[in-house]
Amino acid sequence: MSAAADGIAGALAGTRVLELGDQRCEFAGLLLAGLGAEVIKVEPRAGAPSRALGPFARGAPDPEQSLFFWRYNLNKKSVTLDLARQESPALLLRLAARADVIIDSGLARDIDARLGAYREFSAQYPRLVICTITPFGLDGPWRDLNAGDLVQLAMGGIAAVCGYDPAADGRYDTAPIAPAMWHSLHLAGEYAAIAITAALNFRALTGEGQFIDLSIHEAVSTCTEVAMPSYIYTRRVVRRQTARHAAPVVSRPWLHRAADGHWVNATISPSEREFRALIALLDAAGIDHELRSAAYADSAHRAKADAQARIDGYLDRVIASLPADEIFHRAQRAGLAWAPVRRPEENLDDPHFAARATFTSIEHPELGRELRYPGSVAIDGDQPALSYTRRAPRLGEHTDEVLRAAGLQAAELDALRRDAII
Amino acid sequence: MAEQTTARRWALDGVRVIDLTWLLVGPQATRILASFGAEVIRVEWRDPRAIDFLRYTPPFAPGGSGAAVEDRGLLSGSPKYGFNRSGNFNNINPGKLGITLNLNHPKGREILKRLVATADILCENFSPARMAQWGIAYDELSKLNPRLIYLQTTGVGKAGVYDDYVSYGPTAQALSGLTHLSGLPEPHPPAGWGYSYLDHSPGYYGAMLVMAALLRRRKTGAGCYIDLSQSETGIFLSGTSTLEHQLDGQPTRRHGNRMPFAPHAPHGIYQCAGDDEWIAIAVESDQQWRALADELGAHALANDQRLRAAAGRKANEDELDGALVQYTSRHERYELARRLQARGIAAGPVQRSDDRFERDPQLRARGYFVTLPHGEIGDWPIENFPAKLEKSPAFVGGRHGRASPMLGEDNDRVYRELLAMTPEEISALTEEGVI
Repeated sequence: MSAAADGIAGALAGTRVLELGDQRCEFAGLLLAGLGAEVIKVEPRAGAPSRALGPFARGAPDPEQSLFFWRYNLNKKSVTLDLARQESPALLLRLAARADVIIDSGLARDIDARLGAYREFSAQYPRLVICTITPFGLDGPWRDLNAGDLVQLAMGGIAAVCGYDPAADGRYDTAPIAPAMWHSLHLAGEYAAIAITAALNFRALTGEGQFIDLSIHEAVSTCTEVAMPSYIYTRRVVRRQTARHAAPVVSRPWLHRAADGHWVNATISPSEREFRALIALLDAAGIDHELRSAAYADSAHRAKADAQARIDGYLDRVIASLPADEIFHRAQRAGLAWAPVRRPEENLDDPHFAARATFTSIEHPELGRELRYPGSVAIDGDQPALSYTRRAPRLGEHTDEVLRAAGLQAAELDALRRDAII
Repeated sequence: MAEQTTARRWALDGVRVIDLTWLLVGPQATRILASFGAEVIRVEWRDPRAIDFLRYTPPFAPGGSGAAVEDRGLLSGSPKYGFNRSGNFNNINPGKLGITLNLNHPKGREILKRLVATADILCENFSPARMAQWGIAYDELSKLNPRLIYLQTTGVGKAGVYDDYVSYGPTAQALSGLTHLSGLPEPHPPAGWGYSYLDHSPGYYGAMLVMAALLRRRKTGAGCYIDLSQSETGIFLSGTSTLEHQLDGQPTRRHGNRMPFAPHAPHGIYQCAGDDEWIAIAVESDQQWRALADELGAHALANDQRLRAAAGRKANEDELDGALVQYTSRHERYELARRLQARGIAAGPVQRSDDRFERDPQLRARGYFVTLPHGEIGDWPIENFPAKLEKSPAFVGGRHGRASPMLGEDNDRVYRELLAMTPEEISALTEEGVI
């Protein structure tokens, strides 16, 4: 902890974040927590909606067993507060007085009820950075539409470029597939964390906080790569293709089956370097081939469709001759950017990610064990650039601690609890 | 455009970035830094064999002479349009200055060191060992400038046992588990991602970490070396999968567009009237199902007692989806989405790029596309930063209010104004192949 405190993972040490709202803001809070901020999650007394999202540690739904909640709320503190009660704005103001950042999320109409209070907070505490995360932003004709992860990925354009190859007649017989595991929330959280760190830099320069209005629809939209320039510059719509880039034309497959049944992501460009590397792999695997013939020495020949098909055939054969991990290391040693299609859990035991401490062990006293969480994306010097040390909070675990620190006395807490406000 | 930018206030005022990045993952980070007002100086090669390959790749803005550059043959992109017409390059590099500098030349590396001495941040995404081979790795550069924040982005990460492994976005997606996670259940192969997701998301982390490092530097005065891994980013984005596996020991499965983590059904993407046109529908409660049933009217689904509770809809999801598509395929996607939304159901058309650019009223109303000038290809719409900051707004045109730099466009500005070179020095270095 002390090591992290002077690294990037401690960059936001001393910064206090209030997190209200639903699952749409939890990833932003997680990233700020990983940078050292103290993140206080304000939950309804029944628990944040994300506690109802599975999978669940013991199978059955239970607000204290949600792996979604665990994953996205590491390091945070939990305070219960019924925001609908008339006493709540005054309580929230006392928390805001000690905060640097407020993050809120939900449908725009849910945020509306709190916007007035936020304007008052920022008038009173002008250094506050307040960020709202909503499906479409706080204004515009679609502001009130309802959307979760699937609908955001559809409307924001990611689903349209992901899925399977068209059939032989060029028509699609499968639907677009939205990539699984909450990527609209990841994108929203990343951009919110970027906007907030930018605003904190601005505050360091000027002393001024500010208001940030993040649209998940726009966050998703930014992340479709060449699909948008293809249309803007040439009016061509890219076509989705199995596990490779959507493009105006259908390209050759990138997935090949290895001897152990795993898929391998592999391509060979017509370049001399990659072609030589393929020959070396074929030779090492004892596969006969004609690729040393004079015709193939010419890159223009290799780029022709017939030659490409022959080369692809060898690509299939060499990959089919070995287990996926073996072909991975052999190809990489030959300078080829190939990789096996791993299940996420296969990286738990990978020596490279072990050496980088990619996974962080977090103690779960209630389980009587540790769980290993994906803990960072980078190394800063010799330590992870994001640092996580505490499991997600139990509902209301820090209510007393946080409200006492905000100046409330024991008798006040008792009264608030008796009145079912906290 | 210039007058619009002069009144702006910038979060990264006074921050200078030396941008050695190429292709996508590095430029994505510096794109964001430029959007917040950092002065980003893109360092590129003039030698056609070493120019950022993205400058060769389609789509190209129409027009152009096409004769100025020799054909390189080996690469699948085409240089016949010149270096300054790629729309993909223009979209990922707006707001940056551009200079040419040959780092293979010893004098080029000396000039780089002079630039680094004036800078706050250096970003690169070469193969892992490249900068060390040139003798300008972080350890060397930080001696010249201890306040330097150095962002290196590589496929698997520099530290660790695969320290020389190479990767494109799709390689990192395969290795990290993200490819496996998306698609129909086995025996279908994974559908994975239709673009290099991990050439973009790690760029976002790069920008975030650099801005966090700037905050820290304000307190400590110290720079740092950030070793950012595309694959590690993919692992960070693998949701609950590794946790679930640790608890149940089962291999992670795919679920198509369905929702395995909540009793939401129907939850999918359904064919609509038209060619390859689809609607996403996510019913999250029994109440929303009743609203959908009302919309379905006389359709047999509406009266199916088995479907009234979420458990029944989950248990009969194949049948439910099959019947629902009979309904959706008769309807136009935007109109159907409008009617379902009016009943409170999360539904929306699967929007292609043409839809988002031509007809999405929300992106238009929010000013998502901004038109920026480019020295050779003129004005083009560029995608803006997806959040509105009230006092220091992000603007993708950056402090110079323009699209991407032409190759070497700002040599004079940077070499004369920043490094105080004379015109004679600049032309001599140009003839020598240094700049």
